[in-house]
Amino acid sequence: MNTIDRRTLLKGIGTAMALPMLERMLPLTALASTPKVKVVRNAYLFVVNGVEITHWTPAADGALVLPNILEPLADVKNNLNVLTGLTQHYAFANGDGPGDHARSCACWLTGVQARKTSGADIHNGVSVDQIAAQHIGKYTKFPSLEIGCERSGLAGDCDSGYSCAYSSNISWKDDHTPNAKEINPRLVFERLFGNGDEEEQGESLARRQILKQSILDFVSEDASRLKSQLGRKDLMKMDEYFTAVREIEDRLVRFENSPTYAASQAQKPMGIPGDYGEHIRLMADMMILAFQADLTRTCTFMFANDGSNRTFAQIGVPEGHHDMSHHGGDPAKLAKKRAIDRYHIEQLAYTLKKMQSIEEAQGGTLLDNTFLMYGAGISDGNAHNHDNLPILLAGKGGTNLQTGRHIRYNDGTPLDNLYLDILDKMGVPTDHMGDSTGKLQGIL
Amino acid sequence: MPFRAFPMRKAAALGLSLAALGAACLETASSASTVIRQKSPTVSFVSDVKPMLAKYCAGCHSGKDATAGLDVTKLSAADLMDESDIWNRVVDRLSKDEMPPKGMPQPVAMAKTRALTWIKNALDKECRIADPGRVTIRRLNREEYNNTVRDLMGVNFHPADDFPSDDVGYGFDNIGDVLSVSPLLMEKYLSAAEKIAHKVIQVPGVKTLHIESGDMSGGANSSQRDDGWRAFYSEGAMEKAVDFPAGGHYRLRIRAAGDLAGPELPKMEVKVDGKVFQVFEVGVKFPNATVVEAPIDLDSGTHKISVAFTNDYYNTKDPPGKQDRNLYVNFVEFVGPTGAQAPMSPAYLHIIPTQPTPDTVQPDARRDIKNFATRAFRRPVTTQELDRLMTVFNVGLKDGSFSSGMQIAVEAVLASPNFLFRAELDPKGSKAGVRTLDDYELATRLSYFLWSSMPDDELFQLAAEGKLHKDAVLKQQVERMLADSKANALAKNFAGQWLQLRKLSIIFPDPQRFPGVDDAMKKNMATETETYFMYVLQNNRPITDFIDSNYTFVNQKLAEFYGMQGVTGDQFQKVPVEEPRGGVLTQASVLTVTSNPTRTSPTKRGKWVLEQILNAPPPPPPPGVGTIADEPKKLSATSLRQLMEEHRKNPMCAACHAKMDPIGFGMENFDAVGKWRTKDGQFTLDTTGVLPDGRSFSGPMELKQILLKDKAKFARAMAEKLLTYGLGRGVEGADKCSVDAIVQSSATSGYRFEDLVTQVVESDPFRKTRLSTAQ
Repeated sequence: MNTIDRRTLLKGIGTAMALPMLERMLPLTALASTPKVKVVRNAYLFVVNGVEITHWTPAADGALVLPNILEPLADVKNNLNVLTGLTQHYAFANGDGPGDHARSCACWLTGVQARKTSGADIHNGVSVDQIAAQHIGKYTKFPSLEIGCERSGLAGDCDSGYSCAYSSNISWKDDHTPNAKEINPRLVFERLFGNGDEEEQGESLARRQILKQSILDFVSEDASRLKSQLGRKDLMKMDEYFTAVREIEDRLVRFENSPTYAASQAQKPMGIPGDYGEHIRLMADMMILAFQADLTRTCTFMFANDGSNRTFAQIGVPEGHHDMSHHGGDPAKLAKKRAIDRYHIEQLAYTLKKMQSIEEAQGGTLLDNTFLMYGAGISDGNAHNHDNLPILLAGKGGTNLQTGRHIRYNDGTPLDNLYLDILDKMGVPTDHMGDSTGKLQGIL
Repeated sequence: MPFRAFPMRKAAALGLSLAALGAACLETASSASTVIRQKSPTVSFVSDVKPMLAKYCAGCHSGKDATAGLDVTKLSAADLMDESDIWNRVVDRLSKDEMPPKGMPQPVAMAKTRALTWIKNALDKECRIADPGRVTIRRLNREEYNNTVRDLMGVNFHPADDFPSDDVGYGFDNIGDVLSVSPLLMEKYLSAAEKIAHKVIQVPGVKTLHIESGDMSGGANSSQRDDGWRAFYSEGAMEKAVDFPAGGHYRLRIRAAGDLAGPELPKMEVKVDGKVFQVFEVGVKFPNATVVEAPIDLDSGTHKISVAFTNDYYNTKDPPGKQDRNLYVNFVEFVGPTGAQAPMSPAYLHIIPTQPTPDTVQPDARRDIKNFATRAFRRPVTTQELDRLMTVFNVGLKDGSFSSGMQIAVEAVLASPNFLFRAELDPKGSKAGVRTLDDYELATRLSYFLWSSMPDDELFQLAAEGKLHKDAVLKQQVERMLADSKANALAKNFAGQWLQLRKLSIIFPDPQRFPGVDDAMKKNMATETETYFMYVLQNNRPITDFIDSNYTFVNQKLAEFYGMQGVTGDQFQKVPVEEPRGGVLTQASVLTVTSNPTRTSPTKRGKWVLEQILNAPPPPPPPGVGTIADEPKKLSATSLRQLMEEHRKNPMCAACHAKMDPIGFGMENFDAVGKWRTKDGQFTLDTTGVLPDGRSFSGPMELKQILLKDKAKFARAMAEKLLTYGLGRGVEGADKCSVDAIVQSSATSGYRFEDLVTQVVESDPFRKTRLSTAQ
């Protein structure tokens, strides 16, 4: 395991870096060409095993007064809305029996009831981030970024008959392909900016393009020929391969002048930090970097896999997270769950504060120009319910969305309605998703 | 998941002795007055089975309240395959004269024989035409990718460590249907192909191997600054193992600086592979810097480079600013190789044995690429593929060299789906049906099953000669492969997932309650079980050794953990154990992965035994089951066992928890990290339990005895898991015949492990495939 105890500080992240970096690395974004079309990002940050809901929900509606768990957000309170009462119909069992962690995790960004299977024939839906990426992904080198802190399930099924694929992923490219996430900050950095090998090879960029293209041509042809000889189920696998190759080919052609390692002034992270909080913050830094350099405008970030039983000795909770979320009303366990939830919020606070401090050339801060949703697919970890979900929406997505509020929705209001709003504001009008009934009221 | 089986509860009831049936059946037909039929030439369901069932069995076994849930009037010839479990039991009971029960009307011997003949023949026939199944095309998973690169290229380089995790299905991460290719993974494949090709095929020319001080190890006496400098405030070293793909003449360059004090300049000692290469004096005061250089000759391969500060100095009597001597190092570089071409690495020579002359560039390239691609694709490369690869080669050759052309061709091969996927292609124009895999496909299945890697030269040779499928050859190859050290992949990958050892890396026992169970100790725990597994396999021990035995493997640290005396050193060695230790259930690895971070979990342990040993996972909790009552129980006032009784008070929970919890209770003498205890805190332990079938036990020894009695079930479970792992698909209904055959064979040889693995390899599902047009 390549863990280290310290992390390399990213130099100059913040106001000083933002402007020069953006100007130097202009790819084909609207940023340079059409100032009136705003560059808007969407990000989805996921925590697991529900929350200690009584101390998450603000007491009063209207102006936001932060309850215990959300207190660390004091400095960014005015840039976010806490949304209470939202629900996801298809996260419930609806006759499928247990498996809430996997099912609600699979449903969170798709709105779809995942098929209960632990092996083949996985079936979910397309997630909101990918719907966005399908439309705006073409403007950036990477259509989307998927990051997290925990590897996918290591052994066995993950939740009562549901495949580990469901509880380890929130971003779904199509109904059977989850987008694998990266958990090593160094690798995220290298993916975004290259790893400096290019200079060592001593080859010119043009020559590299030619060589890469010939390889992609070759493997595409191989895949086509294979497809003609394969059975039905095999074809799906080959399609995944083929589609992935084509995307890379596309990127090669359109983003020849992307920022490379030498050009970026950020310093590369060393690896996965030993401390969980540091790990989360470092991954958040990567997301922010990617947004700043306009390498992508869509990101999903799983703080953990659903059902995670990670221990939190660093905050006095040596027990497992999942175990504590099943508190059974025990005050000691409730307090520990609360501490874990607060710990996660502290990392969110770090992220939002940073985004709030980055002024953008197009006007506003990075946070102003982003829709960042943070929450979980389970409400109370003990009851495993999927109504009254803990959701907060930070940033304004480039609009004049009013923030600093607690909005309480009627029981049963679909969370998926919020996705329609976000998609609409990102230029991807969508009629329906999951159990949506229309756009969410009170957002704009 | 196991094939659709007769509902568990009913099956269990059927298994119970039906001696207690008594007078449930009311019909009292006379016994001997059955009409004796004319001897008809062929038995049939309609004439021989159906009437007999109706007359002698339907009395109790029919209708809404059919005994043991079996309604024989609903059985038909058509459902033989699906209901083969029931039919097998019918055969069993009839032939053992257990049914109809004594005292009830019995069919005459002839009728019984005819009925049994029909049923047995029918079951046999179903087996003979049984579907060997079809495996969805499988991509290499991370382990397989790393191993394949090792064996194909000869470099010990693990690119797949950076790949995203493989999704798990049916308990294993090598299932064709479940493994997918996400765009992220494709990027990594391409990037890995590039790195590997560049590492092995060195293009002549001068390169710079640049190593930042931040990438070098060490840290006790030095501090890595944010500006990229490593500051040595006192004597210490930093080092790194550096790969030199090409050997030859290099120029070593180190950017350094110092704080000057005292009579000497700061000394920077450079060691290569542990030997001092040169000591440099650094006379430039930080933050100014200098680059010291020296020529150095190095062979290709990995060399350990270390840079050390050797003459610290600190004297407060000196003038300020000249009191403290320090060394600063920014980076280390090797520029080269220059001059005469040094010999290429073995990995390079494996692919490019001779350098071409200007005339032989094309034919040499074609020959070398053909050999490489054939090995990489695990079957002869086609002319058309070779032509296309030559096109790629020539793109690289243009404005480059023979080596750069080869480099790019190698990269293309490594990125090709023919390398990344194990395709089993049906011949063109095949109709529906079944075919035997060809020898190349068989070799590939065999090597990935036993080695998690590609076939070796011997397997390829046998495949090329068309000999591999011959029974004697196949058997001998299995033996050879299991004796090879590459078979350790089975311990790492099969045992790691079957026994869930991989979960050790994500379980963190509370350091307060269980001090000393850190990463190193967990690694020792895993090694014990992996070594044990390999021993049982390679010595063809009976699989019952997994349940109980009188030996295990420990090193000194693990022995101390267990409280064993007399074991020294880091090496793992075979030691005897006394009851109740012995078998994997009593090994710390298994005991830890089946616990919570702060306490044991009888339910988890019971579930583990049901799933991993008996392959009979408990069904998930029923819908709407809710959670245990909300009254906060004070854990300190009640024992864990008393708390768990809650599971069994609620009838909805009890049905399944009655299967799991007792097993776990039997193991309570082992704490959450596997140490022996007689009390849990202040509570004495109650390790008695009663299984759903009524068998009771007290303590782990008696529990193990009970499990040993179920060894046929265990053998069946192992066969199914081996089949799942070996095929890369879940076991289906049609596989039942094959599994039956494997288990029967295994029984005759005393359920020995190596034999079991061989029987799996020799089975139809492993050697044949259903054709894709049949889907």
